[in-house]
Amino acid sequence: MIFLANILFVTTSLVYLAASALFLAHLTGRSSANALAPRLMVLGVALQAASILLSSVALHVCPVRGVHFALSVVSFAACVLYVSLRHRYRLDFIGAFIAPLALTFHLASRFGGSPAHDSDPAHRLQSVILPVHVITNVLGDALFLLAFATALGYLIKERLLKQKRLSGIFRRLPPLDSLERAEHAFLLSGFVMLTIGLMTGTVWAARVEAGHPADVMRAVLGYTSWFVFAAALAFRASGRWRGRRASYITIFGFLCMSLVMLLYVARTIGPLASLLMELP
Amino acid sequence: MIVVVGLSHRTAPVQVRERVAGGGESLDGVVASLMARAEVSESLVLSTCNRVEIFATASGAPTDAIRAMRDVFGQHTPMMTGEELATHLFEYGGGEAIRHIFRVASSLDSLVVGEPQILGQLKDAYDAAVASGALGGLLGRCIERSFGVAKRVRTETALGAGSVSISSVAVDLAQRIFGELSSCAVLLVGAGEMAEAATRSLGRGARQLRVCNRSIERAEALAATVDGSVAPWEDLERELATADVVVTSTSARAFVIDSAMVKRVMRLRRGKTLFLIDIAVPRNVEPSVHAIDNVYVYNIDDLEELVAEGMKSRLSEVDAAESIVRDELAVFDVWLRERTVRPTIVALREKIRAVLEAEREKAFSGKLRHLSVEDRNAITHMLDGAANKLLHAPTTRLKSVAGASTGGDSASEFASALQYLFELHDAEAEPKPGDHEAPIALSSSVAASSAWAKLIP
Repeated sequence: MIFLANILFVTTSLVYLAASALFLAHLTGRSSANALAPRLMVLGVALQAASILLSSVALHVCPVRGVHFALSVVSFAACVLYVSLRHRYRLDFIGAFIAPLALTFHLASRFGGSPAHDSDPAHRLQSVILPVHVITNVLGDALFLLAFATALGYLIKERLLKQKRLSGIFRRLPPLDSLERAEHAFLLSGFVMLTIGLMTGTVWAARVEAGHPADVMRAVLGYTSWFVFAAALAFRASGRWRGRRASYITIFGFLCMSLVMLLYVARTIGPLASLLMELP
Repeated sequence: MIVVVGLSHRTAPVQVRERVAGGGESLDGVVASLMARAEVSESLVLSTCNRVEIFATASGAPTDAIRAMRDVFGQHTPMMTGEELATHLFEYGGGEAIRHIFRVASSLDSLVVGEPQILGQLKDAYDAAVASGALGGLLGRCIERSFGVAKRVRTETALGAGSVSISSVAVDLAQRIFGELSSCAVLLVGAGEMAEAATRSLGRGARQLRVCNRSIERAEALAATVDGSVAPWEDLERELATADVVVTSTSARAFVIDSAMVKRVMRLRRGKTLFLIDIAVPRNVEPSVHAIDNVYVYNIDDLEELVAEGMKSRLSEVDAAESIVRDELAVFDVWLRERTVRPTIVALREKIRAVLEAEREKAFSGKLRHLSVEDRNAITHMLDGAANKLLHAPTTRLKSVAGASTGGDSASEFASALQYLFELHDAEAEPKPGDHEAPIALSSSVAASSAWAKLIP
């Protein structure tokens, strides 16, 4: 079963790699075919679902009760959301950002420690809080990943429109308004998830009396991200931060979230875990 | 042979074209008149604002067909004398005619290269010709193939990409910013002719169209022609707050929309995207407005630059499109040459089928009358298979010889030999649209044989 899970992992990586190459080739004008890449994304999602399921069964680990699968599940959730929402927001070519990110996250999950050496104290605490915390955070991260990719697309398109360079990538990216609406929708949904994740995380931290420096740093970054996103949404509602500014703040917020996730995963990697333990 | 007679923007000025195409219903009878002539066996009339052309198949000598087509053209163009018309008419025959039809369908011969309307117009002409029974197996096939050529050109090249008019560039830009125009409110500031043209395109799909002009009478007149409503000049700033796309074309010597005004407007809009198209000379919108967040200003120079880019990118695709036309011409040429031996092949298959069917029926009512229905079916299938296998090699070789560019004489010799050896009297006939070398299938008549067999004691 492990062997089959490994084959699925490699196949998923190859499919995401092919989708990334096709998306980028089309976005940069090197290929005119644009139907295959989204289909490869659908195939990648199916393969990744099978890969995660099989691996978790083989390793006797529930994917939402630990950090081992967190990265892969985040990229999986982001791809599912992309595949489901690409028509609604005309986001086909955002796949050029999503596919490489999904591939990176999927590959990174392989180096995110193994369940056997998982030092997450959550394993010692049987509670429904942890699955809720992990699910909402995973969904929140996936939505922020989509918001990040959409913000990148918006910034590129907006810059080209301001510079009046209207060929190539400009023509292949979705309409500016669609990008802005999609970015806002992803940001708002991600913020709801993040809020629930932070609340459950706070309760969980109090229960396990987590006082490790890495936990504190994570909490600080988590709250910082929450404030960044809250500010972005509030200022957008007031009309002050829209378009370009909103995109910059979305990217900043996503980077904060990525640091939280990096710390989360780094704790399970032997040498990094030791390094984090030595933090004052 | 396919022949073409007509005039287009290349051979006739608009004054001539409008007199020919403007005849309207007079052109309706062209196909009927042509089909009444013995020199022509198929015909189609393509009439657009840039061309009036007759495509036809010559029954005999192409020169006779062309003469007949010129006659009919003259009869149906009463607003011009025969001599006057003759100076503007062009004519093509054979390969040149087919190439012309392929180029017309692909929009390579259009005034604005790559424009998509011509294919729809050709399809309409084709439907009309089919409805009147004027198309057969040669011209009909050629026109059908031209649709395929046009599709290849459109999908494999960027001949139709890029906008080539100020209005289409403006619409294209608005769509690239807002997506569907159905959610956009368009505001027309000034009532100049240029703005009217741009607004006709932009306003067609817009949610709302408002006209704001110093002279309320002119605003009302323009609003009526573009199906919009009038906004008072004093409300310009308020109108800007609710519009998504603004087209300015006033004759004012100073800026009508300045940076300070737009900053105020953007606060009212809560930062919502605003697209300003300034087609006035001198400009109506202060250039620094473009630097404001979420505001985009494109002036007439920007739009003309985009038009030039669109035209340049289309023209750069012409070679690739012409290459596709050449490829398709070669394929069609092979089909044309194979077509010369098709009557022989069809006649040969019909003859073999008739002989086998007669022998089978004779056997089933004679020595083999004791056979069951299953056995009769088995024998029939065996005969079908054997006949098709035996005919496969001569059929494919004959077509291959005919299809080869230098095989014309050999093919006709082979065809004559087959006609002589098998006594194929119908093989000289011109192939009809329904003619095809279907495999021999006596089994299609098995049901009747079986029913008959059941009556045999």
